[in-house]
Amino acid sequence: MIDFSMYGAKVPTIKAYKCLTCGTVYYPAPMVCGKCSTRRDPVTGKGWETFDLEGSCELLTWTRVWNLPEGYTKKYLLFGIVQFENGLRASGQLEVEDPRIGMKLNATVKESDERPGNPVNVFVFRE
Amino acid sequence: MAIKVGIVGIGHTRFGNSSEYDLADVMAYAATDALQDAGFLERRREIDQVIVGNMASGMFCHQSGVASSLISRMDMEPVPAELVENGPASGASAIKIGYMAVASGMADIVLVVGGEIMRKVSGWEATDLVATILHSEAEYDMGLTLPAFGGMFTRLYMEKYGLTERDLALLAVKNHRNGAKNMYAHIQAPCTIEAIADGPEAAVVNTYVAEPLRMYSTCPVSDGAAALLLVNMDSPKARDFKKKPIRIAGVASATDTHCVHNRKDPLRLEAVRLAAEKAYKMADLGPKDISFAELHDAFSILELAISEEVGFFERGKSFLAVRKGETDIDGRLPINTSGGLKSKGHPVGATGVSQAVELVRQLRGEAEEGRQVRNPKYGMSVNFGGFGNNVVALICAKD
Repeated sequence: MIDFSMYGAKVPTIKAYKCLTCGTVYYPAPMVCGKCSTRRDPVTGKGWETFDLEGSCELLTWTRVWNLPEGYTKKYLLFGIVQFENGLRASGQLEVEDPRIGMKLNATVKESDERPGNPVNVFVFRE
Repeated sequence: MAIKVGIVGIGHTRFGNSSEYDLADVMAYAATDALQDAGFLERRREIDQVIVGNMASGMFCHQSGVASSLISRMDMEPVPAELVENGPASGASAIKIGYMAVASGMADIVLVVGGEIMRKVSGWEATDLVATILHSEAEYDMGLTLPAFGGMFTRLYMEKYGLTERDLALLAVKNHRNGAKNMYAHIQAPCTIEAIADGPEAAVVNTYVAEPLRMYSTCPVSDGAAALLLVNMDSPKARDFKKKPIRIAGVASATDTHCVHNRKDPLRLEAVRLAAEKAYKMADLGPKDISFAELHDAFSILELAISEEVGFFERGKSFLAVRKGETDIDGRLPINTSGGLKSKGHPVGATGVSQAVELVRQLRGEAEEGRQVRNPKYGMSVNFGGFGNNVVALICAKD
């Protein structure tokens, strides 16, 4: 069986960056490596490597926000900061019933159109 | 020898809802107050430089060029005027730039005005527009806002140090008590611990905003303006003003990572610590010398965290001092004597200048009855840009 609808479908991703000169990893990307000062060309990406930031992570802190900004239709949203196994950290939305600091989560990425402007890719952290 | 810079005039509108008025008019009102206070209104064209602090008039009011607009409202042409933007610390940054203009010798008299009209838009829009100060892709796009970071910071602090929601409510009670007596405050109403924490209706009165932060741990959205007249205290012109100058003993700023998640210790506010250290060094003072302070409590947790970073209390101990009343008006170290951002309000571009106005009022002995600190010598303020990524500390002295 082949599913033609999959062709051309874009899987949302969020990229982390690695400086190839010294190996330091970043999220989000700096324009200059904080460790060795190698420049990053945002068009060619020369001298830098990118990789998908996703998968296993640990919850560092979280909140449930009740006064969401303009554009959001939900009653509330949960947000959290997580740390990945490679040491990188990220902030994003949390879809967990009973969040606890230190719990293991899985980071995925979805497309969101709630903010004004073009749709964007956002982190969703789940159990 | 370094030029000494003093504040000889202060002005302030009542914070609250001024959304039917034009931003430049509101700023001009505060500026005129400051010039009258200094006895310099008729001579205003002798001012060497005007510096305006404003965060987002383009977004809130669909208005740009507010520094030039202010000049015309006050009939002050051809005095030079520029705008300084540093998010919610735009006001204190404007003071710092004004200080630098005088200290460098380029100007003898500088008018600093901070102002913001935020209530032309809805509260939801205001939350969104202020959130544009966050990292555009890694924070703002995720749906994060400043209250969200306030909530996450509070949860970490509670987990590590044992702070309770009731402790946060005690801060609101203290700051509303002070703000109720401040003629410039947005919310001039005291609140009780029963109403917002202990009583049966407390959870309804004081609802969650960003858990565990509740409404009474979060500042209101406010409009307003404040102004200062700075002078070279060594200039012959310094003798032309009505009131004795309050000296700027130290003013300094520092930055931290734009993304909050990239801070090594997410409970540290490094920019606060560094800005305060630099200001102390410049003033040749330390935390023990400070008589009272205005600290940027956009969220109540920040009053605690900032008071620890600037060295007033040991880490994780500030809320114990609040429980004992040490930061009350008659306490060992009064904090947020104006009512703070919680009660006085937080028109983002005005706040840093408003804090300085409070330092001057207290040091002159001009605060209202019941909230005047006894014989203060040094006042300190901390104005917090973003979620602590660009912070200004100011120390004023009564010589």
